[in-house]
Amino acid sequence: MDKHWNRYHRKQSGDFFDELITRTGRPRVVASTAVKMLRSLTPDEMTVRRGAAELAIREMGISFTVYSEGKNIDRAWPFDIIPRIISAKEWKKVSSGLAQRTRALNRFIDDIYNKQKILADGVVPAEIVLDSGNFKAQCAGVSPRYGAWAHICGTDLVRDKDGRFYVLEDNLRVPSGVSYMLENREITKRVLPELFEHHSILPVDDYPSRLYSTLASLSPRDQKRPSIAVLTPGIYNSAYFEHAYLAQGMGAQLVEGSDLFVGEDDCLYMRTVDGPERVDVVYRRIDDDFLDPDAFREDSTLDVAGIMRAWKLGNVAIANAPGSGVADDKVVYAFVPDMIRYYLGEEPSLASVKTYLCMNAKDRDYVLSNLNKLVVKPANESGGYGLMIGPKSTAAKRAEFARLIEANPRNYIAQPTLSLSTAPTYVDKGVEPRHLDLRPFILQGNKTWVTPGGLTRVALVKGSLVVNSSQGGGSKDTWIVQSNQS
Amino acid sequence: MMLSRVAERLYWMARYLERTENTARLTQAYTHLIMDIPAGSEPGWDILVYILDGGHQFGEGRSFSEQNVLKFLIGDEDNPSSIPFCIKAARENVRTTRDVLPEELWEHVNELYLYSQEQASKSVGRRNRHGFLEEVISRCQLINGLLMTTLCRDHAYRFVKLGYLLERADMTTRIIDVGAGALLSNERLNEAVDPLIWASLLRSLSAMDSYRRTVGPLVEASAVVNFVFCDGSLPRSLRFCLDGIRRELVPLKNNAEAVKVLDRTRRSLSRFNSDKAGREELHRFIDRFQTGLNTLSGVISSRWFMPLNS
Repeated sequence: MDKHWNRYHRKQSGDFFDELITRTGRPRVVASTAVKMLRSLTPDEMTVRRGAAELAIREMGISFTVYSEGKNIDRAWPFDIIPRIISAKEWKKVSSGLAQRTRALNRFIDDIYNKQKILADGVVPAEIVLDSGNFKAQCAGVSPRYGAWAHICGTDLVRDKDGRFYVLEDNLRVPSGVSYMLENREITKRVLPELFEHHSILPVDDYPSRLYSTLASLSPRDQKRPSIAVLTPGIYNSAYFEHAYLAQGMGAQLVEGSDLFVGEDDCLYMRTVDGPERVDVVYRRIDDDFLDPDAFREDSTLDVAGIMRAWKLGNVAIANAPGSGVADDKVVYAFVPDMIRYYLGEEPSLASVKTYLCMNAKDRDYVLSNLNKLVVKPANESGGYGLMIGPKSTAAKRAEFARLIEANPRNYIAQPTLSLSTAPTYVDKGVEPRHLDLRPFILQGNKTWVTPGGLTRVALVKGSLVVNSSQGGGSKDTWIVQSNQS
Repeated sequence: MMLSRVAERLYWMARYLERTENTARLTQAYTHLIMDIPAGSEPGWDILVYILDGGHQFGEGRSFSEQNVLKFLIGDEDNPSSIPFCIKAARENVRTTRDVLPEELWEHVNELYLYSQEQASKSVGRRNRHGFLEEVISRCQLINGLLMTTLCRDHAYRFVKLGYLLERADMTTRIIDVGAGALLSNERLNEAVDPLIWASLLRSLSAMDSYRRTVGPLVEASAVVNFVFCDGSLPRSLRFCLDGIRRELVPLKNNAEAVKVLDRTRRSLSRFNSDKAGREELHRFIDRFQTGLNTLSGVISSRWFMPLNS
C-alpha cells in the first residue's frame, strides 16, 4: 500500500529537520493522522489526486508569468499535494515573533524618515542607511497613519536542522505570493477532502477581508467604505494573477497607472465612465522607482504624475508607503534584533541568521577566507538572483564573488549555509524529501495581524535549496493544526 | 463604478465576439449557397472579402478562389478580418478585465481560443469547414448567453451590450449592401437564382424562419431589405439594434451627444422606404448609416473611454 513512502527517512541525504517525519521514520505527532491517511493511498490513487490538482489549477486559471526566450509565458502554478503541517502551539510563538518584528521595522522606517533617533544614538550606523539606494530622501518628513509604512510584509522563514525557525529576510516593498497561499488551500480541499474531516486546521481564506480592513484603516477620509485601488504594472507582470485576485477579493478596483491622475486639488482620482472618482488608498504593486515620474524615474510608463505630492499632503494613503524598502536591505537585516530592543524594549522572540557584513573589515576577512562555507548575497536583490551558495559553488564562482566583494563591500553580506528543512513531496519516483521555506504575511494598519501559516515554497529539484517559482520552485498548502497532543 | 479603460475593453471584447460569430455565420451561409447554385451562375467568393472590408488586406492580384478566400477568413491569424484574429482579440480583452466578468467567462473564451488555435488552419477545406464554423458559432452563443444571464445590469453590462449591438448593426448593413450589390448588378445572367441568394443572406442573419413566419414564404428583395432593416422584433434588424443602443445610452452620464448622433441615424432609418429605393439609393443609405455608426462609436470612445482630467 504505502510503497511510495518506503524508507522515506533513509532518502534524506544529510542532517536536516523534516517537517512531517522524525529521524526514526515515525510521523510527528501533529502530522500523524494526515500521514497515516496519505500512506494508505495506493500509487494509482496518488496519481489520480495529483491529476485532480493539476486540473483544478488549470480550471481556476492559477498561473504566473515567466519571461523566457523573448516571450512572456503564462505557466500553471506548480503544486505539491502533500501539505506541510505545523502545530498551532508552535505557530503561536512564531506568529507573535513576526508581529513583534514588523512593529519594530515600522518604527524604524518612521524614525529614519523623521527624527533619525536610532542613528543619533549610534545603534545603527548612519551611513548604511543614508547611503543606501533604498533610502528615499523624497519621503523625509512624512508621517503615515499609525506610523505604519510597511503595511503588508512578507517575511521568509526557514527551519534549520535544530528545528528552530529563523528569519531569512523581510520583504517590505511589494511582497507577492499570498494569493497562492489561498489557492493552495482551495486545491487541497478539492483533492484531499477526507484529510479535513479529522483535523482542525486554521482557515486562511479571510485574508482578503483582513487586507481590506487594514487598507481601509489607512484612508485619509472618514468614510464607511473608502475607495481602494490595487495598482498593477499590468498583464505582463509575473504577479498579475495575484493583483487581479486580491482586487476581486476586496471588491477594489484593479488599476493601471493610466487609470489614475492627480487633480488640481492634489487629490488622486480614477478615470471612470461617470467622470473622476476620488481614490483614498492605493495598494500599489509596483516599485517605488516607477511610482511617480515627478519624484523618481522620469522614464517610467507605469506611473502617476504627482502621486507623491498627493501622498505627502495626506490626501491619499499608499501601501506599502514609498521608501519602506529602506528596512529590507540585507545589511539593515543584521540590525533588526537591535531595533527590537531599542524601540520595543523586548528581546527578539524569533531568531535571525548570523550575518557577516562585508563592509566591516573583520567580517570581510572571515567571509573571504570561508567562501566555500557561506551563502553570499547582494544587499539589494530579490527572487534568488545574484547569490552564491558556497558549498555548491565552483572555484571560479568563488573567485568571481571575492572580486565583487572587494570592489563593493557595502553591497554584500554572507551567512552560514542553513540546512533548510524538508518535507515529503510527491515526485516521479514516489515520495521524497525536498527543501522548503515559509513566507507568512503580516498586515500592519491600526492593528497587526499575521496569516495562520503562509506560503510554503518547495524546491522541486532534488537537493536544491532554491525555492523561487521563477527558478523551478513549487509550493505546498501550509496547515496550522490544533491538536490536543501537540 | 467603472474604469474607463475597463469599459473600453469590455466594449471591444463584445465587438470582437460578435464579429467572430457573424463572420462564421456569413461564411457558413455562403458555403451552403454556393452548393445550391448551378455552376456558372454562382457569385464569386470575393463577395465575402468585400463584406468584411478585407479587400486591401487580401492583396491585389491574388485570385479570389474558394481556397484563397477561406484561407484568408479562417486560416490567417494575422488578418483582422479573420475568425482566429477576432477570437484572439476578444481573449486579450477578457484577459485584462477578468475581475469584472463572471468567473466562467474567461474559461470559455480561453477554450474558444485554444480550439481555434488548434483547428482553424485545418478547417479551410469544405470537409472540416462546416464543423469548425458550427463549433465557433455555438461557443460564441454560449459565451453571449453566459454574459446575458449572469452580468449585473450595471455599467459593465451596458458597454458589453453597446459593443454587441453596434457590431451587429454594422454587419447587417454590410451583408445587405455587398450582397445586394452583387445581386443587382446588370451583368448577371441567371435571375432565377436571386431568391436563393436572398434566402442565404437571411440565413446568415439567422432570420430565415422569422421571415417566413412574419412576411411569408416568398423571398423577394424589397421585402427582405425592409424586414432586416425595420422589423423591431428581429434581434438582428437595424431597428432592433438602434433601439437597444438607445436603451443602454440613456442611463449613462454625459450622454447628450451620443444620443443625438444615434437619434439622427434612427430618424433616417424611419424615413427609408425599401419599396421605392433602387440599388443606388440603397447603397447611399447604407453608406450614410455606417457613417452614423462610426460617428457614434467615435463619440462613445471620446466620451467614456478617454475622459479628460476633470
